[in-house]
Amino acid sequence: MEAEEIPVLPRGVRLHYDHIREIWVLLAPERAVTLDAVGHAILSEVDGERSFGEITQKLAEKFNAPVDLIMQDSAGFLGALRARRFLDVSS
Amino acid sequence: MAWNKPVIREIECMEINMYGP
Repeated sequence: MEAEEIPVLPRGVRLHYDHIREIWVLLAPERAVTLDAVGHAILSEVDGERSFGEITQKLAEKFNAPVDLIMQDSAGFLGALRARRFLDVSS
Repeated sequence: MAWNKPVIREIECMEINMYGP
């Protein structure tokens, strides 16, 4: 994923807190994935307006971690979601 | 709030690891 690209959750895909399992899940029609704390933190920044570069910069400040590491891990994470149609990207 | 490589598990019928360390 390039820094200028804008990740966005497609219609019908949303974050949901599962009170039974006490975990965050990403729900899509008839499908779901579970998220860990970092995955939830990444998706919480996805608003369909800010670019991948802006999001990873914010996460680097929030986690006090190198932005290069954040970009690498986030790109893999969001790429995996995109491949399974849990995420769209606009540019 | 420590950064770790994020993990995704897809729920099918069971949790199946989809991405992560």
